[in-house]
Amino acid sequence: MKKTLSPYLYFVPALVLAYLFSYRPFFKTIANSLSLVNFSGKIIEFVGLENFQSLFTDRNFQTSLVNTFRFALFFIPIDLVFCLVCALLVYRKRRFNALNETLFIMPMAVAMSSAALVFKAIFNPTIGVVNHLFGISIQWFNDPAWAMFTIVFLGVWMAMGLDFLLLVGALRSVPKHIVEAAEIEGAGPVAKFFRIQLPLISPTILFIVSTRLRDSMLLSGPVMVMTSGGPYRSTQTLVYQMYIEGFTAGNYSKGSAISVVVFVLTFLLILLAFRFERKGVFYQ
Amino acid sequence: MNPFMKRSDIVKATGATMLGLVVVFPIYYAFSASFFTIGEFSTYPPTLFPSTLSLVNYIRALTESMLARFMVNSLVVSLVGSLLRMIVAILAAFAVAFLKFKGKQLLFFLVLGTMMLPGDALIIENYLTISRLGLVDSYLGIMSVYLLAPVQMFMLRQSFKTIPLTYRESAAIDGCSDFKFLTSIVLPMSRPIVLTLSLHSFVTIWNTYLWPLLVTNNPEMRTVQVGITMLGYADSLDYGPIFAAISLLLLPSIIIFLLMRKKIVEGIASGAIVG
Repeated sequence: MKKTLSPYLYFVPALVLAYLFSYRPFFKTIANSLSLVNFSGKIIEFVGLENFQSLFTDRNFQTSLVNTFRFALFFIPIDLVFCLVCALLVYRKRRFNALNETLFIMPMAVAMSSAALVFKAIFNPTIGVVNHLFGISIQWFNDPAWAMFTIVFLGVWMAMGLDFLLLVGALRSVPKHIVEAAEIEGAGPVAKFFRIQLPLISPTILFIVSTRLRDSMLLSGPVMVMTSGGPYRSTQTLVYQMYIEGFTAGNYSKGSAISVVVFVLTFLLILLAFRFERKGVFYQ
Repeated sequence: MNPFMKRSDIVKATGATMLGLVVVFPIYYAFSASFFTIGEFSTYPPTLFPSTLSLVNYIRALTESMLARFMVNSLVVSLVGSLLRMIVAILAAFAVAFLKFKGKQLLFFLVLGTMMLPGDALIIENYLTISRLGLVDSYLGIMSVYLLAPVQMFMLRQSFKTIPLTYRESAAIDGCSDFKFLTSIVLPMSRPIVLTLSLHSFVTIWNTYLWPLLVTNNPEMRTVQVGITMLGYADSLDYGPIFAAISLLLLPSIIIFLLMRKKIVEGIASGAIVG
């Protein structure tokens, strides 16, 4: 047997990439967050936790932190309830349900920036169709109380295809005989859902909640395309502020400190997701 | 499937269809608005149906903006990027599944560990790296951060592991090298998963926004997802070309999506396409 390539060579490309674009920037970001960094990204001096001290007393950052969690607080329940309703309507194999299923997962075919542009147009307060169709006159993009909801709706729209499919899959994997036994015993649809289906699909729900929480911590694209963080910073999120600090203000230390906060938040949430995944989000 | 529907089934199906129409409304609106005239964007009440099916917005989008160039950029980056990404993942997965060497588990987990570090939170340092390498405004710069896909490496390894080790032993006895074994036996046997993952990679890279926005300053190098948000009509009511551009992007992806629907649904049900 000829040894043409050492086994390690197969790993070289993956390891170089992992080092160059994951581990190195990760440790550099931590180092930057503890230092004073100049315009070209060079560390000037070590300052300890000073960046974090000024970060957590910065009103602007507090706003980003609150907004990021505010997004998650609305996005996840709305996404979950909406996808559950859709899933409950179509999980039994009946006529038309394949068609309805296709309608629900269609948003998966649309990229974020296209979707954001369309939402921006349909939520436009004067010429948009949303206000007109519902007979309301909400100043979606000018009112700090409402702007976040346009992002939330877009978030739900983009997430729903996948989450709906996960929930439909979970509902279909609930053993039929248990549901039928409950029906024979006289359980109504409400009792059937809360007493039998919901507990049995709870691993899937917890999985969706934890992965979507993590996604929420990283929210930035829709904010950039639709609102640029406004009005009055009401939609400014952590990663959006990090982007602005790093690339518009050239403040790498502050940007890196925000990155570290995002790392800590996502890390905790990924651990949570793994835990639930292990617990059994498997079908069949 | 029961051909006789109960009344409750009809109510549910109708409800589902109504919800479904609400869900696809933004897609309908994009196509519909791509035919609007400037006047139709500012009429009150807002209109939902175009008065003509004139292609003037499409022609304007393709001639007045760099949309065509953006599409070519995205195509190059997504094609080459997903190809390189698959090569990197296949090589590593192959080594993990078939070869024996010291520190294999450690290296494997080092690569998998990058999953814990979300790319969007690394953009500042990655940008500095790319700019030091002189790769700003280059295809390689745009695709660089997508070339490592730990999840795909993991899934390939799972798939490779289903190939019996005896195959490799007999191949080795016949004088087949490791690399030859990979290209002439493992890959042909894994064609379905390799194709699925390649397609998924293509779509992932095609759809990214934040990183390409960051590493392209020259408008000529923008990918379509970035370029489409900067078509330059934003401040006027002249949305027609924007919706035409969006529709041009939507049409192929919706067709591919509908054709691949079964595969996507199965993939998600089996846990293959999450994230």
